[in-house]
Amino acid sequence: MRKTIRWQKNPIVAWRAIDGETVIISPSDNVMHELNETGSFIWRQIDGRCSAAEIAGMLAAEYEVPPEDALADTEALLQQLAASALLVTAAAADGAAC
Amino acid sequence: MDRVASRAARKHHPLNAHFDLTYRCNERCVHCYLDHEDHGELTTAEILRVLEELAAAGILTLTFSGGEIFLRPDFFEILAAARRLHFDISLKTNALLISAEHAARLRESGVRSIQISVYSDEPAVHDAITKIPGSHERTLAAVPLLVAQGLKVKLACPLMPQNLLAYRGVMALAEKLGASYSFDPTITPMMDGSGGPLIHRVSTAALLPVLQDPVLSACYPRPAAQTDAAMPSGKPVPSLTSAVSSGFEFAAYEDIPCSAGHNSVYISPYGDVLPCVQLPVPAGNLRRQRFRDIWYHAESLEQLRAVRDSQLPVCGSCEIRSYCERCPGLALMEGGDVLGAYERACELAEQKARLAGVAHPLSALHAPGATARQAVGPCKTNFLVTTDNSFYRKGHDA
Ligand code: SF4
Ligand code: SF4
Repeated sequence: MRKTIRWQKNPIVAWRAIDGETVIISPSDNVMHELNETGSFIWRQIDGRCSAAEIAGMLAAEYEVPPEDALADTEALLQQLAASALLVTAAAADGAAC
Repeated sequence: MDRVASRAARKHHPLNAHFDLTYRCNERCVHCYLDHEDHGELTTAEILRVLEELAAAGILTLTFSGGEIFLRPDFFEILAAARRLHFDISLKTNALLISAEHAARLRESGVRSIQISVYSDEPAVHDAITKIPGSHERTLAAVPLLVAQGLKVKLACPLMPQNLLAYRGVMALAEKLGASYSFDPTITPMMDGSGGPLIHRVSTAALLPVLQDPVLSACYPRPAAQTDAAMPSGKPVPSLTSAVSSGFEFAAYEDIPCSAGHNSVYISPYGDVLPCVQLPVPAGNLRRQRFRDIWYHAESLEQLRAVRDSQLPVCGSCEIRSYCERCPGLALMEGGDVLGAYERACELAEQKARLAGVAHPLSALHAPGATARQAVGPCKTNFLVTTDNSFYRKGHDA
């Protein structure tokens, strides 16, 4: 059975919510990333406990997007953020509640 | 960062803070503008509270400077708090106290960049400026420790008559060590207004070889967008900016003199809030007031925000404005008028315009019939060349 990945924000990245958007700076490569409003919504939910599916559920509830689109978008963004080392996998505590 | 910085400036959101943690120092640099006595620095608890207020107000980039920051025994505690609050952290230090263990802790703390003062590639020249024998060797010993941790290091070299032609050596040193570099002949009066350090200022004429050096002009940053479309220009214009600027100056701001008070702020070791370390206009004190209240309600900041470059009494009609790196703080300190022109900026702008091929460049201050609003005082310049890249930008949409 495939283990559910839970992401958390990389503790060394700098970030701030500014005007409904999120600015993230990675000190290791000096690159600045910007998230739009829905990207920022997802960023806020990334806490090491929620799975992509759970975050997508919240996104769908908040923005009235079809659940399958919300899941695809959430997974794509999480992959992108992880590829830029803005996220790290959380030490999964079994049964952790989102 | 330009888009974020310009939006923050337009809306007056605080984005960048320069926080001097102490004015105490273990060097005694000949040109330093600080009083090194401790007159009651903020305590650890006070600093942690201030950091929380800055984060809550939206400050993202935070520069810890001094004095020498590593003289604070609580420095790593402060750094850890800044990390928890998700700041983008940069440091300015003389690096005398940095050990291998410190370098590792700095990386773990997510520090993005470290600026280290180096005055020459020759130890004797450097040590004569810092007045600490052996300081050159100790400072440079720290650089590989930091670079080995993957930290971005910049060698910052103020230019004075005694080290003016050392810049090529500092460039070579930086390249050898895997660091970037910057040169800046800005020398300011003491914070109490006395002019002692000004004897270490390089004359405009003596700066000519530096301005003409093709190696340096190759790495001049892009000049700010200018509104003066009539300005004749063929060659690239050296863009001169401030040693204390946030690094987000270029093209981010339209018709405002600089970021000070618009999206940037300075905090002293005593909790005083100013628009910029180089602009001594008090806005409030964090021992008595909350940061938000100062930022959004201080009258001095409101007044500063109303200033528009195009409406400046002298500079607003200046034909060589696009060659000028006028600093409102230096305008105030040198000429007594934050809105005014000042001799040093005009001299430098004329020099640069001439080098760029402009025939008979004349600043508005020197133009026939010009009525300067202020007496012309002693001069300093405001000049920085750097190899530093600003941020690359990546967008993510969901
Ligand atoms: S006051 Fe001067 S030094 Fe400060 S940000 Fe403005 S131009 Fe730069
Ligand atoms: S050159 Fe002098 S008059 Fe012209 S913009 Fe600069 S400070 Fe003002």
